[in-house]
Amino acid sequence: MPGLPPLIEEDVQLLNSVLDELLQKSESAAALVIDKGGPIINQRGAVDQFDTTTIAALAAGSFCATQAIAERLGETSFTSVYQQGERFSLLFSNIDENALLIVIFKAQLSAGAVKYYAAGAVPQIAAQLQRAQQRAPGESLDLVSENVLDVSAIFSKRRQN
Amino acid sequence: MAIINQATKELQVKIVYYGPGKGGKTTNLEQVHGNVQNVREKGKLVSLATSSDRTLFFDFLPLEAMAIKGFKTKFQLYTVPGQVIYNTTRQLVLRGVDGLVFVADSQYEKMAENVESFQNLEDNLKTLKLNFAEIPYVLQYNKRDLPNAAPVEYLDYLLNNREVQVPSFPAVASRCEGVFESLNMITRLLLNKFINDGARKAA
Repeated sequence: MPGLPPLIEEDVQLLNSVLDELLQKSESAAALVIDKGGPIINQRGAVDQFDTTTIAALAAGSFCATQAIAERLGETSFTSVYQQGERFSLLFSNIDENALLIVIFKAQLSAGAVKYYAAGAVPQIAAQLQRAQQRAPGESLDLVSENVLDVSAIFSKRRQN
Repeated sequence: MAIINQATKELQVKIVYYGPGKGGKTTNLEQVHGNVQNVREKGKLVSLATSSDRTLFFDFLPLEAMAIKGFKTKFQLYTVPGQVIYNTTRQLVLRGVDGLVFVADSQYEKMAENVESFQNLEDNLKTLKLNFAEIPYVLQYNKRDLPNAAPVEYLDYLLNNREVQVPSFPAVASRCEGVFESLNMITRLLLNKFINDGARKAA
């Protein structure tokens, strides 16, 4: 399972523009590209309105669990999950082996339309992630000059009475 | 796998607490959530548990540490359900793991479960095509306060017997002893790994 390569400005700009277009055309509230391990790769829209960090972690678990169920039923192609709500609905679409697109939209909007526009966005996102992978498979974070000894206690405990 | 975003200067890492059922994994996260200070942001602790408070899917706690070299560093802490039957779920939670805290139960009668859970971890990493040798981890020997706790040397003999010994910590998670020590050490190992990987690739 290859990890996600470090993303650079070009990747973020492309992801931003694809997600912005998706949000505009589908009239959705927020769109997130997440890693199937749980963390957010990129997000656009009214993200302050939602606890997107937790939504991403739960969505990754939920999608992968549903995918595992589908596999046990002999399904070979499993690309999306639609969660119907009363206020907001969600669409999870598979991007590639490692990534997932989540669209949060008002429940009264047509899920079919959101699905249609998401289907257009997915290959563009997949292609950019692929380009990033090919560009810099070995690149890592430049923390070399950082003195790690200084971060030996990055989390400190509150004093107990 | 860690998410590194050079454009937004953000680093996200995933740490999973693994170990046998009722060993104290959830308690570790609760104690971190309740006692951590000096973080930029502390998220809610989300627990997907059964009605009897046993972890069903996972617990999740997002923390954002102070910036490291200008990078916003976000840590996502997860636990797995310890019960043997939930193995598929454990595999899902392990996906994309960067570092591990193995929480062992120090009681003598739990040794077989500790060893079985550690073996299960190795098997699951293999299934996910992850190389255990490349994933930093620490051992936490929990429940040291109980009268039937086995000596630390015995736990080391059973669980810390791989080619390279890893840091181990005695703990009483319910009193928050050993909890931050384990978390800070896995954080340190992870950051060291990024630095070493970066240096190797830059060479």
